[in-house]
Amino acid sequence: MRVDQELVERVQAGDKKAFDLLVIKYQQRIVHVITGFVHDPVEALDVAQEAFIKAYRAIPNFRGDSAFYTWLYRIAINTAKNYLTAAARRPPAMDVDALDATIYYDAPELKEYETPESSLMSDELEQTIHQAIQDLPEDTATAIKLREFDGMSYEEIAQAMDCPIGTVRSRIFRAREAIDKRVNEIMNQGEQQ
Amino acid sequence: MTANQNEILSALVDGELQGQELDHALQFLDNNEQAREQLQRYQFASDVLHGNAYDNSQIDLTGRLLASLEDEPTYTANISTKQKAQVISLPQPFWKQAAGLAMAASVGALAVVGVISQPQSQLIPMLSTAAVEAPTQIRAVAASGNRWTVEEAEIADRLNTYLVDHNEYAGASGVFSYARVVSYDAGQ
Repeated sequence: MRVDQELVERVQAGDKKAFDLLVIKYQQRIVHVITGFVHDPVEALDVAQEAFIKAYRAIPNFRGDSAFYTWLYRIAINTAKNYLTAAARRPPAMDVDALDATIYYDAPELKEYETPESSLMSDELEQTIHQAIQDLPEDTATAIKLREFDGMSYEEIAQAMDCPIGTVRSRIFRAREAIDKRVNEIMNQGEQQ
Repeated sequence: MTANQNEILSALVDGELQGQELDHALQFLDNNEQAREQLQRYQFASDVLHGNAYDNSQIDLTGRLLASLEDEPTYTANISTKQKAQVISLPQPFWKQAAGLAMAASVGALAVVGVISQPQSQLIPMLSTAAVEAPTQIRAVAASGNRWTVEEAEIADRLNTYLVDHNEYAGASGVFSYARVVSYDAGQ
């Protein structure tokens, strides 16, 4: 993606904030990939963090021959595999002292994992997003579907819908706002329970 | 935050920002917690739609990464005019490559036959001589138990990483799955 490459070049030129955006963009995917290897969610977050740090250290050598995510994905997989290999020589993860345990289980990033209701909420969240899209005006729904499900660029969507790119951008934004409103309601309900 | 700023964040999620607009997005995301949260929510919804969110839970690694990256260097080299990887074309016809491969295989087979025909008593001194005659600038580092006895922590870490990688991949490729001795150049 052009934006990824531009963000990478900014990091290479000394802009650390640009790396933050890459983290925001790919953290969910990377954690998802790593949990395929490291099943414990607490450990998976640690491995994901390590993978991003490795990526930052290696980013001066990233030349853009492959997509940034492909490159990051490889780093994440290797980090997860190395973690598993090294873990075989370490004491079990449960062998932590009380202080460590407190730190682990108070980690704010993990609060969602701990609730038994999270699985139920997960399904509800997915359904809510799909329902939010169904409830959108037709043009707006079409724009977000072409973007999210068909992976079209704004330019391609503009051609498909025979409208200016600015209109596409605006429609997709309105769709996101509607989805965000519903997601917020679900999240707030989850926090209140 | 204005609707226009949120629209820019939405376009950022789609990778549709460039140049000045990207500059603008980075500027108002900097130290603007509300904007960052909004961006993360847009991204999260997109990840859920794509099935990329683990357990559909919103994860935020940026806080812990921020602390970790504080100690990391800020890169200063402008690599925007970076060199692209050069593709080396192989114009040789297939038979030339096949002939080269056959020659390499023959030499390899001769070497294997030669080594097998060596008596054990001759082979062992030969190997030990090779070890002794290693260049003086190469330092041999031996593992003590499971740990490296290297003073420089960075090098010890790299060697341990090497061992982990080696053990991981060597088994599948048919070579020894355990490296006992590793050497490295002082300049490396």
